[in-house]
Formats: sequence, structure tokens, C-alpha cells
Amino acid sequence: MKLEIGNFQVKDVVFGEKTMFNNGILTINKEEAIAFIKEDEHITDVDIVIAKPGENTRIVPVKEAVEPRIRPDGRAVFPGVTGDIESAGSGRIHALKGCSVLGVGMHYGSFGDGLIDMGGEGAKYTLFSQLINICIVADTDEEFERFEQQKKNTAIRMAAHRFAEYLGSTVKDLEPENIETFDLDPVTKRSKEVNDLPSVVLVMQPQSQMEELGYNDLVYGWDMNKYVPSFMHPNEVLDGAMISGSFMPASSKWSTYDFQNFPTIKELYKEHGKSINFLGVIMSNLNVSLEQKKRSAVFVAQIAKSLGADGAIVTEEGYGNPDADYILCISALEDAGIKTVGISNECTGRDGRSQPLVTLDERANALVSTGNVSQLIELPPADKVIGELEALARDGLSGGWENDEKLGPSVREDGSIIMENNAMFCGDMIAGWSTKTVKEF
Amino acid sequence: MKAIHYINQFFAGIGGEEKADHKPEIREGLVGPSLALNSMLNAEVTHTIICGDNYMGSNTEEAVNTILGFLENKEFDIFIAGPAFQAGRYGVACGTICKAVKEKFNVPVITSMNEENPGVEMFKSDVIIFKGGKSAAKLRNDVKVMADYANKILAGEELGSADEEGYFSRGIRSQVWLKSGKTAAQRGVEMLIKKLNNQPYQTELVIPKQDRIPIAPAIKDLSKANIALVTSGGIVPVDNPDRIQSASATRWGRYDISGTDDLESGVYKTIHAGFDPAAADADPDVVVPVDVMKAYLKEGKIGKLHKYFYSTVGTGTTQAEAARMGKEIVEKLKEDNVDGVILTST
Repeated sequence: MKLEIGNFQVKDVVFGEKTMFNNGILTINKEEAIAFIKEDEHITDVDIVIAKPGENTRIVPVKEAVEPRIRPDGRAVFPGVTGDIESAGSGRIHALKGCSVLGVGMHYGSFGDGLIDMGGEGAKYTLFSQLINICIVADTDEEFERFEQQKKNTAIRMAAHRFAEYLGSTVKDLEPENIETFDLDPVTKRSKEVNDLPSVVLVMQPQSQMEELGYNDLVYGWDMNKYVPSFMHPNEVLDGAMISGSFMPASSKWSTYDFQNFPTIKELYKEHGKSINFLGVIMSNLNVSLEQKKRSAVFVAQIAKSLGADGAIVTEEGYGNPDADYILCISALEDAGIKTVGISNECTGRDGRSQPLVTLDERANALVSTGNVSQLIELPPADKVIGELEALARDGLSGGWENDEKLGPSVREDGSIIMENNAMFCGDMIAGWSTKTVKEF
Repeated sequence: MKAIHYINQFFAGIGGEEKADHKPEIREGLVGPSLALNSMLNAEVTHTIICGDNYMGSNTEEAVNTILGFLENKEFDIFIAGPAFQAGRYGVACGTICKAVKEKFNVPVITSMNEENPGVEMFKSDVIIFKGGKSAAKLRNDVKVMADYANKILAGEELGSADEEGYFSRGIRSQVWLKSGKTAAQRGVEMLIKKLNNQPYQTELVIPKQDRIPIAPAIKDLSKANIALVTSGGIVPVDNPDRIQSASATRWGRYDISGTDDLESGVYKTIHAGFDPAAADADPDVVVPVDVMKAYLKEGKIGKLHKYFYSTVGTGTTQAEAARMGKEIVEKLKEDNVDGVILTST
């Protein structure tokens, strides 16, 4: 299966007469764009704000991030979500690089929402400070969850997916500056040289722990809570088959942007044919009950074994309870004789002394650590806030609080903040971007 | 910038074992190893505190209070003790005083010991203890390592991890940005390739070896069994005769209950600092259920209630200390032919 991603580097995003891409400049007709977003009647109020790297701007509550893309052949960018279900992962897709569409609450946040600082000290905590962010700042008619800590955020998240496709259409008929090619022969049809290399699978555990539908990651539009692991082509992940959800604390989240650019997949591709034979992705999930966790681990180990995998990388979109799924899966693979590496973050508590993962097992003897959920972060006020700063303290974001005996409120009167890394948007970059690790002191 | 240095009577040149009861004193200027420290530190060592190792060991509270009193009106930016090498009592003294100084004055404290020194296990989670040599032959080297780290602190420079700097980990895991800029994806794939090729690799999160003890087989006939009560809940006679610590315990005690049907409030209490003691002080049986066990004994449900109950404190107590105390207690229980133990916490 061969996927070509045609890249268009976005140097600037401006508002103007006509929505178009020219010479690295993405111009947006704001009025038309707002009218497009408002086609969803659940969006009751919306503004579009552009945030650029280096600006002293704080964005919160961020619900979703998406890379603008379009498929020249007319298929939906997110099959089963923005259009009909068709197979993803092959053919040509065009991408606007260096930017992302953010779904931001105009007022209210929820548990899994995050914060992005575009400049200053806070910028280092998320990848998204390095991108030009086209923020959809919206309010909705989803009254049933307005004051709930857990929100599905459906209207704003879906607006981000639709708007990313809308902006992507500016490059539908243009010739890309460069093309990245992702091509894997079918597993049983590979050359001897490739077959002789150690065979490797990537096991992905996207977030799916909410029993009620609507909060979880989607695969081709299907809620992954009602799902058992299956074998997928890595190109499907890079090409819109996966959509992020609205539950996991922000720093542990994989946004849709992360799925579209998944660094660990790209790194395995780089080594394919050189040092490994990259078989593909076993797409698992994360569950609540032990029985469900075990079932998924059984499926994963069986698929890996049947494919003849010698090695595996397991990575989880989460921390805390899902560590049980993560460690169980690593142990099941090791028991099946498959040499396994894990990639995830840790939660060692504000004093750094807590057990880093909820469950530990000596079989998990090769782990990459991408950050510490509970690191305290204190940041000065920003000149400009996109969204509503008070959401961090008021709305139960995972890394914020209304008041703390020792630390006071997360959001102070002067606009400075104190929070846990937990609420940094995709802050632990578990998809593989993270240049952080965790060390003992 | 100013520093104060703690050493024992031996390194102060006062004497060896025969002078180990030397009471704490503070001298202006430099004594023994302070000279080396002063020459390497980007701060002036203004005072040296000297205390006999035995005095610190057997009169800990007095020694600590006296020394904290010495420091009351002194200006100092950092406090350094030792190095203590393999000298056990000296190491424990360095750990004790560093911990107390840090708590009272909130200044950085540093010491150095050899890995064999029992002070390491007792204080490594509270105090930065550098990995030192076995004997005084390594004095200059050990002092230099402490001075280099102290200089970084004093200059406000970025501090490396325990491994990078060379001290015993305090068990604090903290996130850092890698200077190499290598992404998690690159590190993960690299680690996997090494693992696949049976090459050495370093996991970023070491899973500690789990020391699981199998559960003992069930007692077939309780009515003939000798049962003992053991607790980590800190129940002791009110005067705490064994001076068991309220946290990070290293001592345990056993108390005769052969003539007692009930642990009465005012006679027994808890010294455990890790929970609200109100309920346990009002009725110590809620932690060590002597009353219920005596009732079972009368009913014939158990054959015998062992004449002592054993007690220590679990809060903050290291796994190593807990295991040592557990083994010591088991020896005693075996000598007395105890068949089963009810272990209570808080």
C-alpha cells in the first residue's frame, strides 16, 4: 500500500479577500469561513483567531488539533467522519505543513482540554507553540454538558476536522513542494532481504475508556470502546483513519494532528528495509475492566505472534489506569517471545516520589519515558488569551484547580498561572515527538 | 557566600574511639577536612562543627538541638557534612544533622558516604549523599565532588540527575529535556533495534525487582495454633520505652500482654506520625486487637495468644529497614514457636 503526502509549507496565515494558498501564504476569508463553520447548527457563536510562534499568547481550553489536508481525488480526509467511509492509506493526500486548526472553547473547558503558550517560558511545554495555529474559538448549544467536567466537545471537535478539510481544499489542485512516500509491500510479499530482517509491529493503544459513546477516539468513525484489536496499515493512521477523542488528560493525549504525523510510525518507516522489517500496526485500545484489558492483550499478542513479529513497540494514549493495559500488553508480548519496547509518560506526583506507572512488571525492561504528568509549572501572564483563561481553574481541566491550600488557584488575578503539566496540550508528546525524559534526582 | 562544615571528633584531630563521646562544639574557621573544602569551594567555610560519633548516636536529640542552636545566628548559604566513607556512626551522624539543618534552615545540605555505610539507606531519600570512597585515602576526591556540586548550587547552575552528578538517588523522578534533542520515537526505535540484536541498552524507567514472598500455607487447626500480633501502626506503652521513631523507623519493640485482656487508653498509645491518632489513642485495640484475640482464646478459637505483641512504625520507613526489622522479628517468633501472625497496619 502506497501513500503519498504532498506537502505545502505554510509560512504565514492571514485574513483576506479570498481563501487561497499562494507562495507559502494561506489567506482566509474570515466571513466565509465562519459561515462554513456555522453550517453546523450546534455552533452558536464562533470566531477565528490566528496564533503564531513567538507571540506572547496563551490558548485555553484547547480541545483538538488537526493538520489541514485535502484528497485531490475527492475522498474524505477523515473517512466516516467528514465524509463517506472509504479506505484510507493509499493514493495522494495534500497537507498544509507548519500549521494546525485548533478547536478552542470560547468559554468552557473540560477534563481533557489543554493549554498552549505560543511564546516565552511556556512554549517549550508543547509542540503546538511551533506551529501557526488557526483557532476556531466557539460556543455551542450542547447544554447537557455545559457544566459537566467530562465533555464530548463534539461540535467543536467536528468543526476542527471539517475546517481542516475546508482549508486543505486551497491546495487541492496545486503541485506540492515535496512528496513524502510511505510504501509497504504486503506482509507475505516482501523481498528476501527485507524478510531476513527482524520483524517489528507497532502496537497503538488509543484512548477508549469511556463506556458512554462520544468521548473516545474513532477508527473510521467507529467508537473504539466497542472494539477489539485489529491489524492496520500504518498509512491508514497517517491518512485520517484515526480521530482523537475528548477524555484523556491533555498532556497524555494524541490529537488528530498527532495521528496524522505519528513520529514513531515515521521512525519505523525510516528503519524499514535497513535494520527492521516493519510489519504494520496492531491497533489496540484502552479499557476499564480487567477482563477487557486482558482480552485486548490476548488479541495483540496473538496477532503479533501470527504475523511472526520478533519485536514490538507498545505506546499508550494515557497514564494512570491505562498503564495497566500498557504493562499487560508489554508483558503478554514478552511472554510470546517478542522483544518489546514501551513508549509512554510517567506520573510521579508533585514531589516526584510516587510510583511512576500504576502497575509495574519486570518484563517491561525497555521503556522510553516522555515526561512527567505531575510536574508543576508556573508561568507569567500572557499579553493575549485566546479562549477563556479562567477555564483552566474553573472547569476541572486535569492540570488545573480552583483552589489549593498551598498553591492557591491555578489562575491568578494578574493572569499568571500555576498548573500541572497534565493540562499542557499534548505536552508529553507520547506520539514520539518528545525530547523529554524522566530522570532520578 | 558562606558555608558551614560538620565533621566528627576523629577528623577534627581530637581522638578516636576514646573521644567518641565528645560533645558538640563550633569553631570559627577551618579544622581538618574543612581546609580542603574551603580551598575548593566558591564560598568561605566560616565555621566547623565537631561532634563525637557516639555522642550523636546516643544523645541524638540533645546533639542536634545544640548544633541547631549554634547555627541560629549564623549566616550560611550551604551546609556540608563529612565525607564519612564507610564509618557507620559518622555516616548516620552526617545524615542526621544534614536532615535537621535542611528542615530548620531550608538551605542546601550535602554529604558523602560509601555505599556500604548504613547512613546511605537511612538518609538517601532526604539528603543528597554523594557516592564516596571506602576510607580517608579518598578524602580529597570526595570533598572535591561535594564542592563541585555545591559550587553549581551556589552559582545557580543547572543541576544534573543523581547518576550524572554521582549521588545516591533520592527517589525523586523529574522530567528533563535531553540535550541530544533525540525524540522519543528515535529513542524507542533505537532501543528496540538494540534489544532485537541482543546489544546492551538502557531503559529510561527501571522497574525495581519485586521481592515477592509466597503466601504461607493456611493453618489447618487454629484451635491449636499459637498466634502473634505484629503491627506497623506504632502502638507502644505510653512512655515508648524503645524510643521507636514516629516516622522512618529503624527500631521495633515487643511488649508483654500475657496479663492484659485489653490495650487501655492512657496505658498504650500510637506514636505513628502518618495518620490521625485520635481513634487509636482512645482505644489502641483498634490497631492491635488484643481484646478480640483474648476473647477468641477464651472461646477456644485459637490455641494460644503469643505473650508479646511486636510494634514498629511504617510511615516513611524504607523497604530495606522494614525487611531487616521483619527478619529480626521473625527470628524471635520462631524461637517462641509462633504458628501464625496477624499483621496490622493503620
